[in-house]
Amino acid sequence: MKKRIFTLLCIAIFCSHDMYLKMDTYFIKPNEKSKIQLFNGTFDKSENVIDRDRMLGVSLVGNGKRTKVEDDQWLDKDSITILSFKSGNEGTWVAGLSTKSKDFAMTADEFNEYLEHDGVLDMLAQRKANNTLEQDAVERYSKHVKAIFQVGDQKSEDWNTVLGYPIEFVPMQNPYDLHTGAVLKVKLLKNGAPLVNQLVYADFKAQKNGHSHDDSDEHAHSSTDESHSHSSEKEHSHDDAGNHIQENETHSHANEKEHSHSDEKEHAHANGETHSHSDEKEHAHTNGETHSHLDEKEHAHENGETHSHSDKKEHTHENEDHQHDKSDENHIHTTGQQLRTDSEGIIDVTLTNDGIWFLRTINLVTSEEEGLTHESNWATLTFETKHSHSQSEIADHSHEEEGIPSYLFWVLSAVVVAILFFWFNRKK
Amino acid sequence: MKSIFKGLGVFLFLIFPSVLFAHDVSSADQGILNSGGLFSYIYVGAKHMLTGYDHLLFLAGVVFYLSSFKDIVKFITVFTIGHCITLTGASYLGITANEHLVDAVIALSVFYKGFENLGGFKKLKVKSPNLLLMVFLFGLIHGFGLATRLQSFAIGSKQFLLKILSFNLGVEVGQILALIPIVFIITKWQKKESYQAFYKAANTYLILIGLFLFAYQLYGYFN
Repeated sequence: MKKRIFTLLCIAIFCSHDMYLKMDTYFIKPNEKSKIQLFNGTFDKSENVIDRDRMLGVSLVGNGKRTKVEDDQWLDKDSITILSFKSGNEGTWVAGLSTKSKDFAMTADEFNEYLEHDGVLDMLAQRKANNTLEQDAVERYSKHVKAIFQVGDQKSEDWNTVLGYPIEFVPMQNPYDLHTGAVLKVKLLKNGAPLVNQLVYADFKAQKNGHSHDDSDEHAHSSTDESHSHSSEKEHSHDDAGNHIQENETHSHANEKEHSHSDEKEHAHANGETHSHSDEKEHAHTNGETHSHLDEKEHAHENGETHSHSDKKEHTHENEDHQHDKSDENHIHTTGQQLRTDSEGIIDVTLTNDGIWFLRTINLVTSEEEGLTHESNWATLTFETKHSHSQSEIADHSHEEEGIPSYLFWVLSAVVVAILFFWFNRKK
Repeated sequence: MKSIFKGLGVFLFLIFPSVLFAHDVSSADQGILNSGGLFSYIYVGAKHMLTGYDHLLFLAGVVFYLSSFKDIVKFITVFTIGHCITLTGASYLGITANEHLVDAVIALSVFYKGFENLGGFKKLKVKSPNLLLMVFLFGLIHGFGLATRLQSFAIGSKQFLLKILSFNLGVEVGQILALIPIVFIITKWQKKESYQAFYKAANTYLILIGLFLFAYQLYGYFN
């Protein structure tokens, strides 16, 4: 029994977690009570709260002013840390948070799995090339997250504020000047300098009834059917709550692997991720590679490796902010567009869909510091995109934006009626 | 002559709020719906009715034809029942159509009302259809147009029916607000000597604008 509890504990605590600053909507009214949620887990589900003493440089930037967020503005609710604040005047605002670093020890297998599942593919390739896949790792990591939101209608210049975190995304344009279908340039800075050739993942969470503007120009949005298409070749369906539907789920991954899960099971990966798979669940990938999970112990990966996870396998980790819910279906951190920063540290994010967009990257490098093998800085950025009602592909609305301007219509109508009136009156 | 200018002055004064109100803010409406509660749906529904000139023109046409306040209430109630059915039903069931085509039919309803008011059927020696039935049928079409409009917004699935009903309520509020000056002008002017000229001018205008909007929407559909 003790062993079983210990195993479950190990499974539960051994996972990598992304961190995001999230809002229900990124369009809020001026001078209104608002909330920003700090998620630590996946974009869809937070697994644990963050202690205030781990938070650094928590800021709200708007109306040209950077305001420090006090500890008492945060509260914990379930597994989510929530920041309550009153929105200021109209403008584009930035929220940001950085965390103190922590060290994390992993066996070689665990480290390799984490690199793969979290899309730190450059380090994985480096380990393969250097023949160091068997080396255990001690990683020092810290997370730096930002959200850009729009208060009222009026835009302001605060969206490009550099908060001075070890790593951070800084857009090159105001995301709220753009609409779905546009390309947003985002610069990635590390210690203030452009970070070149860094892998970045960009994905979105569709808001209800959102549109898509993919190549096929196909979109579906109905009140009862939340299905939609994605230009990133991702297909999935959601339940009413916006979660992935577990049965017959099909989606593609940025790491272009295909695998299936033939039965309901729960297992832990070497990077500590624990997740379960329901029946008939399939993942489709674009390179045609397939691997299956036939039982709880075997995995076949694209590199041909097959390894098992025994139920009896024990992991010991002390890090509390590395935990996944066992029912968490969104355990893959590398969905969406897989991008790489150019020579100026810039990526082009094509905003294919309405929804909340989230960018993430993990910059992992080797470390010479004693007791460490690696150091990572994690960055995320979230914002929301909506379609433009003035876009030609949106049906013309005679009453407003695309039709005859109402003021012009009424003025001309009054003139015409007046002319007709005088004409008929004179005739009489 | 003085009363003519006075009447026209009142007319222009009463439509002036609509002119001011009618700013092109569809994206802003989406923002309002995103950040507001059910009241935002009432607001956007009312605003849409007040700035949606085709709905108002049809209502004006209906009011022109009627002489008693009781009839006005009866016909407007039938129109309201008609558009409530399709607005709520089509929005809830996700039924939509090309907005140009829907608006083209709505434009025809404006033309129809002006044509009927000027005795078009009599001149053609054709028996005019039952007006109450036609108002109900056009109410259904106008409601479908409103439903198509509502569905062009991302309203989510949370409180879905309540949002539709709130939008519908807003439409009714907007309709009442619009009807107050329309009924006021027409009933006041009915007592004036110049009313016949105003009646002819307004209904001729309904025919012209109905045809223009019909052609405009068809042009939009084919281009």
